[in-house]
Amino acid sequence: MTAPLRTYDAIVIGGGHNGLVTAAYLGRAGLRTVVLERRASVGGAAATTELAPGARVPTLAHTVGRLRPSVVRQLGLKSHGLSLVSPEVRVFAPGSDGRAVVLWSDAARTAEGLRAVSAADAARYVGFDRLVRSLSGFLGEIAARTPPDIESPGLVDAIGGLQLGRVFRGLGRHDGRTITRVLPMAIADFVAEWFETDAVQAAIAWRGVQYTAMGPWSAGTTAVLLADSAGNDGGAAGQTVFARGGPGALSAALEAAALAAGVEIRTGTAVASIASRDGRATGVVLVGGEELSATAVVAGIDPKQVLTQLADPVAIGPGLLWRAGNIRTPGSVAKVNLVLAAVPRFTAAAGDDSLIRGRIVIAPGIDALERAHDAGKFGRPSDDPVMEATIPSLVDPSLVEGAAPGTQVMSVIVQYAPYALRGDGWDARREAFGDLVVRTLDGHAPGLAASVVARQVLTPLDLERDYGLTGGHPMHGEHGLDQFFLWRPLLGHARYRLGLQGLYLAGAGAHPGGGITGQNGQNAAREVLADSRKRRR
Amino acid sequence: MAPSYDAIIIGGGHNGLVSAAYLARAGLRTLVLEKRHVLGGAAVTEELFPGFRFSVFSYVVSLLRPEIIRDLNLPKHGLDILPLDGTFTPLQPGRGPKAGGGDYLWRVNDHGRTIRELRRWSAMDAEAYEEYGQLMVEMARFIKPILSITPPDLTSLDPRPLLPLAGLARRFQQLPQRQQAVFVQLMTMSASDFLDQWFETDPLKATMGASGIIGTYQGVKSPGTAYVLLHHYMGEIDGAFRAWGIPKGGTGGISNAIGSAAQALGAEIRTEAPVARVLVRDGRAVGVVLESGEEIKAQSILSSLDARRTFMGLLESGTLEPSFEEEVGRFKFRGSSGKVNLAVDRLPEFKSLPGAGEHLRGAISFSPSIDEMETAYDDAKYGLFSRKPYIDMIIPTLVDPSMAPPGKHVISCFVQYAPYKLAPELGTWDDQREAFGDAVIDRIAEFAPNIRDIILYRNVQTPLDIERTTGLTEGNIFQGELSLEQLFFNRPVPGYARFRTPIRDLWLCGSATHPGGGIMGANGRIAALEVLRARGRNAA
Repeated sequence: MTAPLRTYDAIVIGGGHNGLVTAAYLGRAGLRTVVLERRASVGGAAATTELAPGARVPTLAHTVGRLRPSVVRQLGLKSHGLSLVSPEVRVFAPGSDGRAVVLWSDAARTAEGLRAVSAADAARYVGFDRLVRSLSGFLGEIAARTPPDIESPGLVDAIGGLQLGRVFRGLGRHDGRTITRVLPMAIADFVAEWFETDAVQAAIAWRGVQYTAMGPWSAGTTAVLLADSAGNDGGAAGQTVFARGGPGALSAALEAAALAAGVEIRTGTAVASIASRDGRATGVVLVGGEELSATAVVAGIDPKQVLTQLADPVAIGPGLLWRAGNIRTPGSVAKVNLVLAAVPRFTAAAGDDSLIRGRIVIAPGIDALERAHDAGKFGRPSDDPVMEATIPSLVDPSLVEGAAPGTQVMSVIVQYAPYALRGDGWDARREAFGDLVVRTLDGHAPGLAASVVARQVLTPLDLERDYGLTGGHPMHGEHGLDQFFLWRPLLGHARYRLGLQGLYLAGAGAHPGGGITGQNGQNAAREVLADSRKRRR
Repeated sequence: MAPSYDAIIIGGGHNGLVSAAYLARAGLRTLVLEKRHVLGGAAVTEELFPGFRFSVFSYVVSLLRPEIIRDLNLPKHGLDILPLDGTFTPLQPGRGPKAGGGDYLWRVNDHGRTIRELRRWSAMDAEAYEEYGQLMVEMARFIKPILSITPPDLTSLDPRPLLPLAGLARRFQQLPQRQQAVFVQLMTMSASDFLDQWFETDPLKATMGASGIIGTYQGVKSPGTAYVLLHHYMGEIDGAFRAWGIPKGGTGGISNAIGSAAQALGAEIRTEAPVARVLVRDGRAVGVVLESGEEIKAQSILSSLDARRTFMGLLESGTLEPSFEEEVGRFKFRGSSGKVNLAVDRLPEFKSLPGAGEHLRGAISFSPSIDEMETAYDDAKYGLFSRKPYIDMIIPTLVDPSMAPPGKHVISCFVQYAPYKLAPELGTWDDQREAFGDAVIDRIAEFAPNIRDIILYRNVQTPLDIERTTGLTEGNIFQGELSLEQLFFNRPVPGYARFRTPIRDLWLCGSATHPGGGIMGANGRIAALEVLRARGRNAA
């Protein structure tokens, strides 16, 4: 007996990195799996664009160091062409006084450098790095697990709970008490407990607010920072790992791994709705009207979109629909990509190019971060935007192989650029915003503006329109305490099963949240396969 | 020979007095030591201007635990709470709803009337209001028992204190999923985001959201403020009183009633008896030394002072482990509110609703929009007092005429934000006190222009004044910020949330402990019960 055509074991909606990870795992387990990608290529936010002839730039995300090592290993991504490269320097944060805070992968080296700024801060850095690694290690353990079932906990949940309890106790009494205290804390308070210098505080605090619509004084931003270092080698400085060939190379490796696992990938294929019967997802209907059926429908896209636009509202029910409509997606990130004629000369780097090979963080102080956030609250982009830039071509010259000698590419993630603007919309403001970002960078690296050969500005509106990110939110949902762990995306739906039987969530909207980790996809695949085994039994 | 007691309570605020009453009730020889000439701490009534009596600091009550009222028989001791009816939010001209006129939002205890008023603004909001109110009652009912438990230490190997938590988890499990989700949101969201899920009317969200920021150094858009919203909602379900009320004779009336009850139960109370330090022998608290030099011994010492004053102010340095002192040093106070007390010749006249109507008999909330609330916070973040502050105004004389001479009134204005730590360019609060008072009057005059003409006397309480007079560190009215990391098992120090301190026989019993601030008395009661349990006695 053969299955009729267009029938799959699993359909994955959205070929972002998590969708591809899930598909690869499902394919390897023998499930007949198809990935449906609306855009012309897979990868979602992990992409590379040729912005000028021979000059390729990370389109959205620019580093991939949060990728879970187990995903790389299990899917054999290295054999599928993934090559990672990480500079010694993690963060270069130039201040307004012409000095910079530099964070290295080696904490002792960072401490050494901080001595010029503050002896007290230098003395405390290594201890802080240890604490961040310990607390993030705990979050990394949590990230790799499916949140427990609190409705009707079974044996597996009890065992999982005990294991988590053991991991918690493994933190020791001091770190155990610390994590319950600091997780809901504002990052400004957390860094102030350790460091006295504003510039040092801000350089570290940056990751606590990145990709969020929160400022450093907002509760829960410490959890954002710790989660960013969970399950990777980030520590206090955070990861700075590039994929050779740009983030698109990661997507290519994932695509290759999925194809090798027998997964079918269809690009240019948009899903119009999720078909369901008797509370059970049965497949999808494509925009052209074509119907595909499957036992499992796995969404790599954001949960708000899945529940409020693709699923049948009657099947979902008004209660869940209301809750889904309230998933918070306050996009506040824009992207500016530049092709430069030469290496930018940051005043604070004093000609030392080894300092600017990592993440260049323009966040000169805690108040500067908070003030930039203030503007965003009232629907205005800040006049003094804060941002994180990388010049990946310094680390990976293959990105500019075909371009004129000396050419560099710069990738800039800018905050706070609120999706919900008051007054003129983003289409009217895009270029002025790009000018502002270039001007701000030029203030730190005089001559940068004049060296711009090509520029691309992607606003939160573009992220929504072109990448399907609701509200332009790159994390598929705010990384707030209200959308965390057991209640990400919604309480009762954190176990990768979403609203209908046979409907799963594998994207960043699920636990443990956004960023290029592959963790969500890995966790979701585990749950899909568990259900599939149960059915077969 | 120095006199000796079973228990000494440092500080005669409402929590200290509650502790004293419960200990005395269990037969302990109990002494309360209050530094000021009046009892009550921040819940005091004083005649600041001849003939006019003010609730100088704390000014309304709703959270006072009903079991305390019952156990201590407070009505017999003079407690009388007069209801405040409704909340009136005046708006700038033209900011009212298109239909129906009236640039204000006026909610009253009469549910039908409030719904009619809300319909003037939004039919959807009127409908959601009922659902929301019901849900909050359910939430408050769920969380109420948490107010009476001693927080467990998660890292302790002793599982017994975890039992109440397990009970809580079971009750949580039994809630419908939607309520579970709302509870989580209340614990984590900003007041503004939380309210956005139900309502679209800006002044409604701003006025409701205001209870999420009272006493905190947070804005309506700050995550964690939805919890404070619930904290303030808690009183509304007890049924003993209606919503918020004001005690007859001012908030000092509450303190006096509790004090009188404590005395009737045998406790001794000494005012003008400031404690200089706690005597510690071999790691054990054995008594106190007054500023006068007098030594008084006792078996248990309970401090109703905040954590910083207790641990940094009353103990000789070197008594505590440096790591513990560091944790205490981290505890955040950040007083953010001020108070302006006015004696007036006649009533203020609001442009949007002239006359001395019913709308003046409740709370008058200067919270016209979320943006204005948030901007007020933004000023404060950078060390400025709000240029257009949020004000919660009460005219107590309309419900309790005894507070002023016939025909005259007192007005109480609770103001946010007034950050304890001013930006350097502003100097100190002693330099800015009157400028702050002027900003408050200007804000009121925006809506009630006659305010400037009716003032007979103005008393401005800055956070510095609150600190100086009541001893509340940095003028924080809750003895420490009600931020998520300073609640429950983290209040005031992780590992020391069970009212005990690292010093044997020294206990905390004030708002610095779980469940936090407000005229609630829960802290004082649970602390006393813990002390009694440690001493092997029953409460009654």
